Amino acid sequence: MLGEFEYLIITAAAGLGDQAYGAAIRDAIEETAGRKCSVGALYTTLDRLEAKGLVQTWMGEATQQRGGRAKRMVRVTAEGEAVAKDFYDAVARISRGAAWAFRQTGGPA
Amino acid sequence: MIGAGWWCIEAASGLLEPREREAVLGDLAEAGNAAWRGLLDVLGLAMRRQLLLWKSWRPWVSVFGVALPNSFQLIGFSLLVSEMFRHMLGQGLGAEGTAFLFCRIVLLAIVAWSCGFAVGAVSRRTLWANIAACFLPCLFCLSRFGVPHQSPLSLLLFLPFAIWGAWQGLRRVRLRLSSAITLAATASTLVMFGWNGSLIHFLALIWPGWFLVATARKRPAKA
Repeated sequence: MLGEFEYLIITAAAGLGDQAYGAAIRDAIEETAGRKCSVGALYTTLDRLEAKGLVQTWMGEATQQRGGRAKRMVRVTAEGEAVAKDFYDAVARISRGAAWAFRQTGGPA
Repeated sequence: MIGAGWWCIEAASGLLEPREREAVLGDLAEAGNAAWRGLLDVLGLAMRRQLLLWKSWRPWVSVFGVALPNSFQLIGFSLLVSEMFRHMLGQGLGAEGTAFLFCRIVLLAIVAWSCGFAVGAVSRRTLWANIAACFLPCLFCLSRFGVPHQSPLSLLLFLPFAIWGAWQGLRRVRLRLSSAITLAATASTLVMFGWNGSLIHFLALIWPGWFLVATARKRPAKA
Protein backbone atom coordinates (compact mmCIF):
# COMPACT_ATOMS: atom_id res chain seq x y z
CA MET A 1 0.00 0.00 0.00
CA LEU A 2 1.25 3.43 -0.90
CA GLY A 3 1.59 6.33 1.47
CA GLU A 4 -0.38 9.48 0.79
CA PHE A 5 2.66 11.48 -0.32
CA GLU A 6 3.88 8.63 -2.52
CA TYR A 7 0.46 8.57 -4.19
CA LEU A 8 0.60 12.34 -4.79
CA ILE A 9 4.03 12.04 -6.43
CA ILE A 10 3.04 9.13 -8.65
CA THR A 11 -0.19 10.84 -9.69
CA ALA A 12 1.53 14.17 -10.38
CA ALA A 13 4.26 12.43 -12.39
CA ALA A 14 1.69 10.44 -14.37
CA GLY A 15 -0.26 13.62 -15.12
CA LEU A 16 2.85 15.46 -16.29
CA GLY A 17 3.85 12.63 -18.64
CA ASP A 18 7.08 13.40 -20.52
CA GLN A 19 7.47 16.63 -18.58
CA ALA A 20 7.66 14.96 -15.19
CA TYR A 21 10.78 16.02 -13.29
CA GLY A 22 11.59 17.28 -9.78
CA ALA A 23 10.52 20.93 -9.96
CA ALA A 24 7.43 20.24 -12.10
CA ILE A 25 6.18 17.52 -9.74
CA ARG A 26 6.78 19.80 -6.79
CA ASP A 27 4.81 22.63 -8.41
CA ALA A 28 1.96 20.28 -9.32
CA ILE A 29 1.67 18.99 -5.75
CA GLU A 30 1.84 22.46 -4.20
CA GLU A 31 -0.71 23.94 -6.61
CA THR A 32 -3.14 21.05 -6.81
CA ALA A 33 -2.97 19.49 -3.36
CA GLY A 34 -2.30 22.81 -1.64
CA ARG A 35 0.44 21.47 0.58
CA LYS A 36 4.12 22.31 0.92
CA CYS A 37 6.46 19.91 -0.78
CA SER A 38 10.08 20.21 0.31
CA VAL A 39 12.91 19.16 -1.96
CA GLY A 40 14.08 16.74 0.72
CA ALA A 41 10.72 15.00 0.98
CA LEU A 42 10.36 14.86 -2.80
CA TYR A 43 13.76 13.38 -3.61
CA THR A 44 13.89 10.88 -0.75
CA THR A 45 10.39 9.69 -1.64
CA LEU A 46 11.34 9.42 -5.31
CA ASP A 47 14.29 7.24 -4.30
CA ARG A 48 12.01 5.03 -2.25
CA LEU A 49 9.53 4.71 -5.12
CA GLU A 50 12.34 3.90 -7.52
CA ALA A 51 13.68 1.24 -5.15
CA LYS A 52 10.19 -0.31 -5.09
CA GLY A 53 10.11 -0.28 -8.90
CA LEU A 54 7.13 2.10 -9.03
CA VAL A 55 8.94 4.88 -10.93
CA GLN A 56 12.02 5.17 -13.10
CA THR A 57 14.27 8.22 -12.95
CA TRP A 58 17.15 9.40 -15.11
CA MET A 59 19.06 12.59 -15.70
CA GLY A 60 17.62 14.63 -18.53
CA GLU A 61 19.04 17.49 -20.48
CA ALA A 62 20.22 20.81 -19.07
CA THR A 63 18.30 23.98 -19.89
CA GLN A 64 19.19 27.68 -19.74
CA GLN A 65 16.21 28.33 -17.46
CA ARG A 66 17.81 26.03 -14.88
CA GLY A 67 21.25 27.63 -15.01
CA GLY A 68 22.52 24.92 -17.33
CA ARG A 69 21.70 22.12 -14.91
CA ALA A 70 20.13 18.78 -15.75
CA LYS A 71 16.66 17.63 -14.67
CA ARG A 72 15.90 14.42 -12.85
CA MET A 73 13.20 13.02 -15.11
CA VAL A 74 10.55 10.67 -13.74
CA ARG A 75 8.41 8.03 -15.43
CA VAL A 76 5.76 5.98 -13.67
CA THR A 77 6.14 2.26 -14.37
CA ALA A 78 3.27 -0.11 -15.10
CA GLU A 79 3.60 -1.45 -11.56
CA GLY A 80 3.46 2.11 -10.23
CA GLU A 81 0.25 2.78 -12.13
CA ALA A 82 -1.32 -0.42 -10.81
CA VAL A 83 -0.38 0.35 -7.22
CA ALA A 84 -1.65 3.95 -7.54
CA LYS A 85 -4.93 2.66 -8.97
CA ASP A 86 -5.30 0.24 -6.04
CA PHE A 87 -4.71 3.13 -3.64
CA TYR A 88 -7.26 5.32 -5.41
CA ASP A 89 -9.86 2.51 -5.46
CA ALA A 90 -9.33 1.85 -1.77
CA VAL A 91 -9.77 5.55 -0.94
CA ALA A 92 -12.87 5.77 -3.15
CA ARG A 93 -14.42 2.63 -1.58
CA ILE A 94 -13.79 3.65 1.98
CA SER A 95 -15.06 7.18 1.31
CA ARG A 96 -18.48 6.06 0.05
CA GLY A 97 -20.22 6.50 3.37
CA ALA A 98 -18.41 9.66 4.39
CA ALA A 99 -20.36 12.91 4.61
CA TRP A 100 -17.72 14.93 2.76
CA ALA A 101 -17.76 12.43 -0.12
CA PHE A 102 -21.55 12.83 -0.45
CA ARG A 103 -21.26 16.60 -0.48
CA GLN A 104 -18.62 16.51 -3.20
CA THR A 105 -20.57 14.15 -5.45
CA GLY A 106 -23.88 15.92 -4.88
CA GLY A 107 -25.45 13.08 -2.87
CA PRO A 108 -27.58 13.44 0.26
CA ALA A 109 -25.96 15.57 2.97
CA MET B 1 20.02 33.19 -8.96
CA ILE B 2 23.10 35.11 -8.00
CA GLY B 3 24.53 36.66 -4.88
CA ALA B 4 25.54 35.53 -1.42
CA GLY B 5 22.36 33.50 -0.90
CA TRP B 6 22.98 31.39 -3.98
CA TRP B 7 26.62 31.01 -3.00
CA CYS B 8 25.45 29.56 0.37
CA ILE B 9 23.09 27.19 -1.44
CA GLU B 10 25.88 25.98 -3.74
CA ALA B 11 28.20 25.50 -0.77
CA ALA B 12 25.54 23.54 1.16
CA SER B 13 24.83 21.42 -1.92
CA GLY B 14 28.36 20.04 -1.55
CA LEU B 15 26.77 17.72 1.06
CA LEU B 16 24.79 16.01 -1.72
CA GLU B 17 25.85 13.43 -4.29
CA PRO B 18 26.96 15.04 -7.60
CA ARG B 19 23.96 13.73 -9.57
CA GLU B 20 21.50 14.90 -6.98
CA ARG B 21 23.24 18.24 -6.56
CA GLU B 22 22.81 18.90 -10.28
CA ALA B 23 19.07 18.18 -10.19
CA VAL B 24 18.38 20.05 -6.95
CA LEU B 25 20.30 23.19 -7.92
CA GLY B 26 18.50 23.20 -11.27
CA ASP B 27 15.11 22.85 -9.55
CA LEU B 28 15.91 25.72 -7.19
CA ALA B 29 17.13 27.94 -10.02
CA GLU B 30 13.95 27.19 -11.95
CA ALA B 31 11.68 27.81 -8.96
CA GLY B 32 13.34 31.15 -8.23
CA ASN B 33 12.32 31.08 -4.56
CA ALA B 34 14.00 33.12 -1.84
CA ALA B 35 17.57 32.06 -1.13
CA TRP B 36 16.82 31.13 2.48
CA ARG B 37 14.11 28.72 1.37
CA GLY B 38 16.49 27.16 -1.13
CA LEU B 39 19.11 26.81 1.57
CA LEU B 40 16.62 25.15 3.93
CA ASP B 41 15.61 22.79 1.12
CA VAL B 42 19.19 21.73 0.45
CA LEU B 43 20.03 21.34 4.14
CA GLY B 44 16.79 19.46 4.73
CA LEU B 45 17.60 17.03 1.93
CA ALA B 46 21.18 16.55 3.16
CA MET B 47 19.87 15.86 6.68
CA ARG B 48 17.31 13.36 5.42
CA ARG B 49 20.03 11.59 3.44
CA GLN B 50 22.23 11.35 6.53
CA LEU B 51 19.37 10.09 8.69
CA LEU B 52 18.54 7.43 6.11
CA LEU B 53 22.12 6.17 6.28
CA TRP B 54 21.63 5.49 9.98
CA LYS B 55 18.90 2.95 9.20
CA SER B 56 21.72 0.61 8.24
CA TRP B 57 23.86 -1.32 10.75
CA ARG B 58 27.07 0.06 9.22
CA PRO B 59 27.41 3.48 10.86
CA TRP B 60 26.35 2.06 14.25
CA VAL B 61 28.99 -0.65 14.10
CA SER B 62 31.73 1.66 12.89
CA VAL B 63 31.00 4.42 15.43
CA PHE B 64 30.05 2.41 18.51
CA GLY B 65 31.90 -0.82 17.69
CA VAL B 66 35.20 0.61 16.51
CA ALA B 67 35.79 4.35 16.57
CA LEU B 68 34.58 5.25 20.06
CA PRO B 69 35.72 2.29 22.19
CA ASN B 70 38.95 1.67 20.36
CA SER B 71 39.95 5.34 20.47
CA PHE B 72 39.99 5.19 24.26
CA GLN B 73 42.00 1.97 24.20
CA LEU B 74 44.44 3.22 21.60
CA ILE B 75 44.94 6.48 23.51
CA GLY B 76 45.88 4.46 26.58
CA PHE B 77 48.11 2.20 24.53
CA SER B 78 49.80 5.20 22.88
CA LEU B 79 50.62 6.58 26.30
CA LEU B 80 51.97 3.19 27.40
CA VAL B 81 54.25 2.97 24.38
CA SER B 82 55.44 6.55 24.91
CA GLU B 83 56.23 5.80 28.54
CA MET B 84 58.18 2.67 27.62
CA PHE B 85 60.06 4.58 24.95
CA ARG B 86 60.94 7.37 27.40
CA HIS B 87 62.06 4.76 29.90
CA MET B 88 64.24 3.11 27.27
CA LEU B 89 65.89 6.42 26.39
CA GLY B 90 66.50 7.26 30.04
CA GLN B 91 67.49 3.99 31.69
CA GLY B 92 67.50 1.42 28.94
CA LEU B 93 65.20 -1.56 28.71
CA GLY B 94 67.63 -4.32 27.87
CA ALA B 95 67.26 -6.63 24.91
CA GLU B 96 64.07 -8.22 26.17
CA GLY B 97 62.47 -4.90 27.04
CA THR B 98 63.39 -3.42 23.68
CA ALA B 99 61.87 -6.39 21.89
CA PHE B 100 58.73 -6.02 24.01
CA LEU B 101 58.55 -2.32 23.15
CA PHE B 102 59.00 -3.12 19.47
CA CYS B 103 56.14 -5.64 19.66
CA ARG B 104 53.90 -3.02 21.28
CA ILE B 105 54.73 -0.44 18.62
CA VAL B 106 53.90 -2.97 15.91
CA LEU B 107 50.68 -3.86 17.73
CA LEU B 108 49.70 -0.20 18.05
CA ALA B 109 50.37 0.40 14.36
CA ILE B 110 48.49 -2.70 13.16
CA VAL B 111 45.47 -2.26 15.41
CA ALA B 112 45.18 1.48 14.69
CA TRP B 113 45.56 0.91 10.95
CA SER B 114 43.04 -1.93 10.83
CA CYS B 115 40.53 0.03 12.95
CA GLY B 116 40.88 2.99 10.58
CA PHE B 117 40.53 0.73 7.58
CA ALA B 118 37.39 -0.93 8.94
CA VAL B 119 35.81 2.44 9.73
CA GLY B 120 36.59 3.81 6.27
CA ALA B 121 35.39 0.70 4.46
CA VAL B 122 32.26 -0.04 6.49
CA SER B 123 30.81 3.42 6.65
CA ARG B 124 32.21 5.83 4.09
CA ARG B 125 29.32 8.28 4.00
CA THR B 126 29.15 8.69 7.77
CA LEU B 127 32.86 9.22 8.20
CA TRP B 128 32.19 12.53 9.95
CA ALA B 129 30.54 10.62 12.81
CA ASN B 130 33.55 8.34 13.11
CA ILE B 131 35.88 11.33 13.13
CA ALA B 132 33.82 12.86 15.94
CA ALA B 133 33.77 9.54 17.82
CA CYS B 134 37.55 9.39 17.56
CA PHE B 135 38.34 13.02 18.36
CA LEU B 136 35.99 13.41 21.33
CA PRO B 137 37.94 10.86 23.43
CA CYS B 138 41.17 12.50 22.25
CA LEU B 139 39.98 15.94 23.38
CA PHE B 140 38.65 14.51 26.63
CA CYS B 141 41.95 12.82 27.45
CA LEU B 142 44.04 15.78 26.30
CA SER B 143 42.04 18.08 28.57
CA ARG B 144 42.72 15.82 31.57
CA PHE B 145 46.28 14.94 30.70
CA GLY B 146 48.55 15.17 33.72
CA VAL B 147 51.47 12.80 33.19
CA PRO B 148 54.72 14.55 34.18
CA HIS B 149 57.63 14.63 31.69
CA GLN B 150 55.38 13.48 28.90
CA SER B 151 53.98 15.48 26.01
CA PRO B 152 50.19 15.40 25.66
CA LEU B 153 50.76 14.56 22.01
CA SER B 154 51.99 11.14 23.12
CA LEU B 155 48.30 10.25 23.52
CA LEU B 156 47.85 10.60 19.80
CA LEU B 157 50.56 8.23 18.56
CA PHE B 158 47.91 5.98 17.07
CA LEU B 159 46.31 8.72 14.98
CA PRO B 160 48.65 8.70 11.93
CA PHE B 161 48.17 4.94 11.54
CA ALA B 162 44.40 5.22 12.01
CA ILE B 163 44.11 8.06 9.49
CA TRP B 164 46.22 6.15 6.98
CA GLY B 165 44.02 3.08 7.44
CA ALA B 166 40.83 5.11 7.08
CA TRP B 167 42.18 6.66 3.89
CA GLN B 168 42.92 3.20 2.47
CA GLY B 169 39.47 1.99 3.49
CA LEU B 170 37.82 4.97 1.83
CA ARG B 171 39.72 4.25 -1.38
CA ARG B 172 38.30 0.72 -1.31
CA VAL B 173 41.80 -0.73 -1.27
CA ARG B 174 41.67 -4.51 -0.91
CA LEU B 175 44.58 -6.40 0.57
CA ARG B 176 45.75 -9.77 -0.69
CA LEU B 177 44.27 -12.56 1.40
CA SER B 178 47.68 -13.75 2.60
CA SER B 179 48.65 -10.21 3.72
CA ALA B 180 45.34 -9.73 5.49
CA ILE B 181 45.62 -13.05 7.32
CA THR B 182 49.18 -12.22 8.36
CA LEU B 183 48.11 -8.82 9.70
CA ALA B 184 45.07 -10.17 11.53
CA ALA B 185 46.94 -13.12 13.01
CA THR B 186 49.83 -10.91 14.10
CA ALA B 187 47.46 -8.39 15.70
CA SER B 188 45.46 -11.12 17.44
CA THR B 189 48.58 -12.81 18.79
CA LEU B 190 50.10 -9.55 19.99
CA VAL B 191 46.82 -8.42 21.56
CA MET B 192 46.50 -11.78 23.29
CA PHE B 193 49.93 -11.51 24.89
CA GLY B 194 50.41 -7.78 25.19
CA TRP B 195 47.01 -6.47 26.25
CA ASN B 196 45.55 -6.45 29.71
CA GLY B 197 41.82 -6.06 29.24
CA SER B 198 38.51 -7.84 29.14
CA LEU B 199 37.31 -10.23 26.45
CA ILE B 200 35.08 -7.53 24.98
CA HIS B 201 38.04 -5.19 24.64
CA PHE B 202 40.05 -8.00 23.11
CA LEU B 203 37.34 -8.72 20.53
CA ALA B 204 36.83 -5.01 19.79
CA LEU B 205 40.50 -4.69 18.99
CA ILE B 206 40.94 -7.76 16.83
CA TRP B 207 37.74 -7.76 14.77
CA PRO B 208 38.88 -4.96 12.45
CA GLY B 209 41.88 -7.15 11.55
CA TRP B 210 39.61 -10.07 10.68
CA PHE B 211 37.36 -7.68 8.78
CA LEU B 212 40.39 -7.11 6.55
CA VAL B 213 40.54 -10.87 5.97
CA ALA B 214 36.84 -11.01 5.10
CA THR B 215 37.17 -8.23 2.54
CA ALA B 216 40.55 -9.29 1.15
CA ARG B 217 41.13 -10.26 -2.48
CA LYS B 218 40.82 -13.99 -2.78
CA ARG B 219 43.12 -14.17 -5.81
CA PRO B 220 46.09 -12.02 -6.77
CA ALA B 221 45.18 -9.33 -9.32
CA LYS B 222 46.18 -10.16 -12.88
CA ALA B 223 48.78 -7.88 -14.43
